[in-house]
Amino acid sequence: MTGGSVEVEPRELRSVGAAMLGLAFLLPALPGHPGLPCPLRMLTGIPCPLCGMTTSVEDTVHGHVVGAAAANPAGIALTAVAVALLVTRPARLVLSRLALAAALAGMWAFELHRFGVV
Amino acid sequence: MTSTYSPPPTISGPSGPRAGFWQRFAAAFIDGIIIGVVDVVLRLAIGTAGSLLGIVVGLAYFAYLEGGPSGQTLGKRALGIRVYDFTHGGPIGYGRGVGRYFARWLSAIPCFLGYFWMLWDKEKQCWHDKLVTDVVVPVSAYPVR
Repeated sequence: MTGGSVEVEPRELRSVGAAMLGLAFLLPALPGHPGLPCPLRMLTGIPCPLCGMTTSVEDTVHGHVVGAAAANPAGIALTAVAVALLVTRPARLVLSRLALAAALAGMWAFELHRFGVV
Repeated sequence: MTSTYSPPPTISGPSGPRAGFWQRFAAAFIDGIIIGVVDVVLRLAIGTAGSLLGIVVGLAYFAYLEGGPSGQTLGKRALGIRVYDFTHGGPIGYGRGVGRYFARWLSAIPCFLGYFWMLWDKEKQCWHDKLVTDVVVPVSAYPVR
Protein backbone atom coordinates (compact mmCIF):
# COMPACT_ATOMS: atom_id res chain seq x y z
CA MET A 1 0.00 0.00 0.00
CA THR A 2 1.26 3.46 -0.78
CA GLY A 3 0.22 6.82 0.66
CA GLY A 4 -2.91 8.68 -0.39
CA SER A 5 -6.54 7.89 0.05
CA VAL A 6 -9.09 5.81 -1.77
CA GLU A 7 -12.80 6.41 -2.14
CA VAL A 8 -14.87 3.32 -1.39
CA GLU A 9 -18.57 2.59 -1.89
CA PRO A 10 -20.26 3.24 1.46
CA ARG A 11 -23.29 1.15 0.48
CA GLU A 12 -21.16 -1.93 -0.20
CA LEU A 13 -19.11 -1.51 2.96
CA ARG A 14 -22.33 -0.93 4.95
CA SER A 15 -23.88 -4.15 3.63
CA VAL A 16 -20.72 -6.14 4.44
CA GLY A 17 -20.70 -4.59 7.92
CA ALA A 18 -24.36 -5.49 8.43
CA ALA A 19 -23.66 -9.09 7.35
CA MET A 20 -20.71 -9.21 9.77
CA LEU A 21 -22.87 -8.00 12.68
CA GLY A 22 -25.64 -10.43 11.75
CA LEU A 23 -23.20 -13.37 11.65
CA ALA A 24 -21.71 -12.28 14.99
CA PHE A 25 -25.16 -12.53 16.58
CA LEU A 26 -26.06 -15.74 14.77
CA LEU A 27 -22.91 -17.90 14.94
CA PRO A 28 -22.93 -18.60 18.71
CA ALA A 29 -26.55 -19.81 18.41
CA LEU A 30 -25.74 -22.33 15.68
CA PRO A 31 -25.01 -25.98 16.53
CA GLY A 32 -21.29 -26.44 17.20
CA HIS A 33 -20.72 -22.67 17.23
CA PRO A 34 -18.95 -22.59 13.84
CA GLY A 35 -16.01 -20.26 13.27
CA LEU A 36 -13.55 -19.47 10.53
CA PRO A 37 -10.25 -21.32 11.08
CA CYS A 38 -7.24 -19.40 9.79
CA PRO A 39 -5.57 -21.36 6.94
CA LEU A 40 -2.22 -19.62 7.62
CA ARG A 41 -2.23 -20.68 11.28
CA MET A 42 -3.39 -24.20 10.39
CA LEU A 43 -0.61 -24.57 7.83
CA THR A 44 2.28 -22.83 9.60
CA GLY A 45 1.28 -22.10 13.20
CA ILE A 46 1.74 -18.40 12.47
CA PRO A 47 -1.37 -16.24 12.97
CA CYS A 48 -2.49 -13.64 10.44
CA PRO A 49 -3.69 -10.06 11.16
CA LEU A 50 -7.34 -11.18 11.10
CA CYS A 51 -6.93 -14.04 13.58
CA GLY A 52 -9.26 -13.62 16.56
CA MET A 53 -11.60 -11.29 14.66
CA THR A 54 -14.56 -13.70 14.63
CA THR A 55 -14.27 -14.13 18.41
CA SER A 56 -13.67 -10.43 18.94
CA VAL A 57 -16.67 -9.22 16.92
CA GLU A 58 -18.91 -11.91 18.45
CA ASP A 59 -17.82 -10.93 21.97
CA THR A 60 -18.29 -7.22 21.22
CA VAL A 61 -21.86 -7.56 19.96
CA HIS A 62 -22.67 -9.67 23.03
CA GLY A 63 -21.16 -7.06 25.37
CA HIS A 64 -18.05 -9.06 26.36
CA VAL A 65 -15.54 -6.32 25.67
CA VAL A 66 -12.71 -7.82 27.76
CA GLY A 67 -12.85 -11.08 25.81
CA ALA A 68 -13.02 -9.13 22.56
CA ALA A 69 -9.95 -7.10 23.43
CA ALA A 70 -8.05 -10.25 24.38
CA ALA A 71 -8.83 -11.93 21.04
CA ASN A 72 -8.16 -8.96 18.76
CA PRO A 73 -8.87 -5.34 19.81
CA ALA A 74 -9.55 -4.42 16.18
CA GLY A 75 -12.81 -6.35 16.41
CA ILE A 76 -14.18 -3.73 18.80
CA ALA A 77 -13.19 -0.94 16.42
CA LEU A 78 -14.59 -2.80 13.41
CA THR A 79 -17.92 -3.36 15.19
CA ALA A 80 -18.06 0.34 16.08
CA VAL A 81 -17.32 1.30 12.46
CA ALA A 82 -20.00 -1.09 11.14
CA VAL A 83 -22.60 0.34 13.53
CA ALA A 84 -21.55 3.91 12.69
CA LEU A 85 -21.90 3.21 8.95
CA LEU A 86 -25.39 1.80 9.50
CA VAL A 87 -26.48 4.74 11.66
CA THR A 88 -24.89 7.69 9.86
CA ARG A 89 -25.21 6.32 6.28
CA PRO A 90 -22.53 8.58 4.77
CA ALA A 91 -22.84 9.46 1.09
CA ARG A 92 -19.05 9.36 0.59
CA LEU A 93 -16.38 7.41 2.33
CA VAL A 94 -12.67 8.07 1.93
CA LEU A 95 -10.15 5.74 3.52
CA SER A 96 -6.51 6.47 4.20
CA ARG A 97 -4.34 3.70 2.78
CA LEU A 98 -1.63 4.53 5.29
CA ALA A 99 -4.07 4.18 8.19
CA LEU A 100 -5.30 0.83 6.82
CA ALA A 101 -1.74 -0.45 6.45
CA ALA A 102 -0.90 0.72 9.98
CA ALA A 103 -4.02 -0.95 11.38
CA LEU A 104 -3.20 -4.27 9.68
CA ALA A 105 0.40 -4.08 10.88
CA GLY A 106 -0.78 -3.37 14.44
CA MET A 107 -3.28 -6.23 14.30
CA TRP A 108 -0.61 -8.62 13.08
CA ALA A 109 1.85 -7.55 15.78
CA PHE A 110 -0.85 -8.14 18.42
CA GLU A 111 -1.67 -11.62 17.11
CA LEU A 112 1.99 -12.62 16.74
CA HIS A 113 2.48 -11.64 20.38
CA ARG A 114 -0.73 -13.36 21.51
CA PHE A 115 0.34 -16.65 19.98
CA GLY A 116 3.89 -16.31 21.34
CA VAL A 117 5.54 -16.03 17.93
CA VAL A 118 7.34 -12.81 18.92
CA MET B 1 -0.49 38.26 -10.98
CA THR B 2 0.83 35.10 -9.41
CA SER B 3 -0.78 31.72 -9.39
CA THR B 4 -0.44 29.08 -6.73
CA TYR B 5 0.04 25.47 -7.77
CA SER B 6 -2.20 23.03 -5.99
CA PRO B 7 -1.30 19.36 -6.33
CA PRO B 8 -4.14 17.17 -7.57
CA PRO B 9 -6.03 15.33 -4.86
CA THR B 10 -4.94 11.71 -4.35
CA ILE B 11 -8.47 10.51 -3.58
CA SER B 12 -9.71 8.24 -6.32
CA GLY B 13 -11.98 5.35 -7.18
CA PRO B 14 -11.76 2.63 -9.84
CA SER B 15 -10.88 3.57 -13.44
CA GLY B 16 -14.03 1.86 -14.77
CA PRO B 17 -17.09 -0.17 -13.76
CA ARG B 18 -16.26 -3.08 -11.45
CA ALA B 19 -18.16 -6.09 -10.12
CA GLY B 20 -19.34 -5.54 -6.55
CA PHE B 21 -18.35 -7.59 -3.51
CA TRP B 22 -21.68 -9.41 -3.22
CA GLN B 23 -21.78 -10.22 -6.95
CA ARG B 24 -18.36 -11.81 -6.67
CA PHE B 25 -19.31 -13.53 -3.41
CA ALA B 26 -22.45 -15.05 -4.98
CA ALA B 27 -20.53 -16.18 -8.06
CA ALA B 28 -17.86 -17.81 -5.86
CA PHE B 29 -20.62 -19.47 -3.81
CA ILE B 30 -22.18 -21.02 -6.94
CA ASP B 31 -18.78 -22.17 -8.22
CA GLY B 32 -17.96 -23.53 -4.77
CA ILE B 33 -21.11 -25.64 -4.77
CA ILE B 34 -20.35 -27.00 -8.26
CA ILE B 35 -16.72 -27.85 -7.48
CA GLY B 36 -17.66 -29.07 -3.98
CA VAL B 37 -20.20 -31.57 -5.35
CA VAL B 38 -17.70 -32.87 -7.91
CA ASP B 39 -15.07 -33.18 -5.16
CA VAL B 40 -17.40 -35.17 -2.88
CA VAL B 41 -18.44 -37.50 -5.70
CA LEU B 42 -14.79 -38.12 -6.65
CA ARG B 43 -13.82 -38.79 -3.03
CA LEU B 44 -16.68 -41.23 -2.56
CA ALA B 45 -15.86 -42.95 -5.84
CA ILE B 46 -12.07 -43.32 -5.60
CA GLY B 47 -11.06 -42.27 -2.05
CA THR B 48 -7.96 -40.17 -1.34
CA ALA B 49 -6.97 -40.00 -4.99
CA GLY B 50 -10.33 -38.31 -5.52
CA SER B 51 -9.16 -35.31 -3.46
CA LEU B 52 -6.15 -34.85 -5.70
CA LEU B 53 -8.30 -35.30 -8.76
CA GLY B 54 -10.68 -32.71 -7.26
CA ILE B 55 -7.86 -30.15 -7.25
CA VAL B 56 -7.14 -30.95 -10.90
CA VAL B 57 -10.83 -30.59 -11.76
CA GLY B 58 -10.95 -27.23 -9.89
CA LEU B 59 -7.86 -26.04 -11.71
CA ALA B 60 -9.27 -27.09 -15.08
CA TYR B 61 -12.66 -25.50 -14.33
CA PHE B 62 -11.33 -22.10 -13.29
CA ALA B 63 -8.37 -21.93 -15.71
CA TYR B 64 -10.42 -22.98 -18.74
CA LEU B 65 -13.46 -20.81 -18.03
CA GLU B 66 -11.79 -17.71 -16.55
CA GLY B 67 -8.94 -17.85 -19.06
CA GLY B 68 -11.29 -18.44 -21.98
CA PRO B 69 -12.81 -15.80 -24.28
CA SER B 70 -15.72 -14.99 -21.94
CA GLY B 71 -13.73 -14.98 -18.68
CA GLN B 72 -16.75 -16.49 -16.99
CA THR B 73 -17.22 -19.48 -14.75
CA LEU B 74 -20.81 -20.70 -14.40
CA GLY B 75 -21.11 -18.62 -11.23
CA LYS B 76 -19.81 -15.49 -12.90
CA ARG B 77 -22.10 -16.10 -15.88
CA ALA B 78 -25.08 -16.36 -13.55
CA LEU B 79 -24.14 -13.04 -11.94
CA GLY B 80 -23.29 -11.27 -15.22
CA ILE B 81 -19.65 -10.60 -14.42
CA ARG B 82 -16.36 -11.63 -16.04
CA VAL B 83 -12.61 -11.68 -15.56
CA TYR B 84 -10.98 -9.03 -17.74
CA ASP B 85 -7.38 -8.15 -18.56
CA PHE B 86 -6.62 -4.94 -16.68
CA THR B 87 -3.84 -3.75 -18.98
CA HIS B 88 -5.02 -4.60 -22.50
CA GLY B 89 -8.68 -5.51 -22.05
CA GLY B 90 -10.25 -8.79 -23.18
CA PRO B 91 -9.56 -12.31 -21.93
CA ILE B 92 -6.60 -13.07 -19.68
CA GLY B 93 -5.70 -16.33 -21.46
CA TYR B 94 -5.38 -19.87 -20.15
CA GLY B 95 -1.87 -19.47 -18.70
CA ARG B 96 -2.93 -16.59 -16.47
CA GLY B 97 -6.12 -18.52 -15.74
CA VAL B 98 -3.93 -21.23 -14.20
CA GLY B 99 -1.99 -18.59 -12.27
CA ARG B 100 -5.21 -17.02 -11.04
CA TYR B 101 -6.40 -20.37 -9.66
CA PHE B 102 -3.28 -20.79 -7.52
CA ALA B 103 -3.17 -17.07 -6.61
CA ARG B 104 -6.67 -17.55 -5.20
CA TRP B 105 -5.13 -19.85 -2.56
CA LEU B 106 -2.81 -17.02 -1.50
CA SER B 107 -5.82 -14.72 -1.09
CA ALA B 108 -7.47 -17.30 1.17
CA ILE B 109 -4.51 -18.17 3.41
CA PRO B 110 -4.58 -15.18 5.83
CA CYS B 111 -8.26 -15.53 6.90
CA PHE B 112 -9.37 -14.58 3.35
CA LEU B 113 -7.80 -11.12 3.73
CA GLY B 114 -6.87 -11.24 0.04
CA TYR B 115 -10.56 -11.53 -0.87
CA PHE B 116 -11.68 -8.73 1.46
CA TRP B 117 -8.96 -6.51 -0.04
CA MET B 118 -11.29 -5.47 -2.90
CA LEU B 119 -13.47 -3.60 -0.38
CA TRP B 120 -10.88 -0.86 0.00
CA ASP B 121 -8.76 -1.30 -3.13
CA LYS B 122 -8.78 1.50 -5.69
CA GLU B 123 -9.48 -0.87 -8.61
CA LYS B 124 -11.54 -3.26 -6.47
CA GLN B 125 -8.97 -5.99 -6.96
CA CYS B 126 -8.45 -9.01 -4.74
CA TRP B 127 -4.87 -10.23 -4.30
CA HIS B 128 -5.35 -12.86 -7.03
CA ASP B 129 -6.54 -10.13 -9.41
CA LYS B 130 -3.42 -8.09 -8.67
CA LEU B 131 -1.11 -11.07 -9.11
CA VAL B 132 -2.34 -11.80 -12.64
CA THR B 133 -3.26 -8.16 -13.46
CA ASP B 134 -6.97 -8.58 -14.02
CA VAL B 135 -10.17 -6.96 -12.84
CA VAL B 136 -13.65 -8.44 -12.48
CA VAL B 137 -16.15 -6.35 -14.39
CA PRO B 138 -19.87 -6.34 -15.18
CA VAL B 139 -20.72 -7.83 -18.59
CA SER B 140 -23.16 -4.96 -19.11
CA ALA B 141 -20.19 -2.57 -19.29
CA TYR B 142 -17.68 -4.95 -20.90
CA PRO B 143 -19.70 -7.30 -23.15
CA VAL B 144 -18.34 -10.68 -24.23
CA ARG B 145 -17.51 -10.54 -27.97
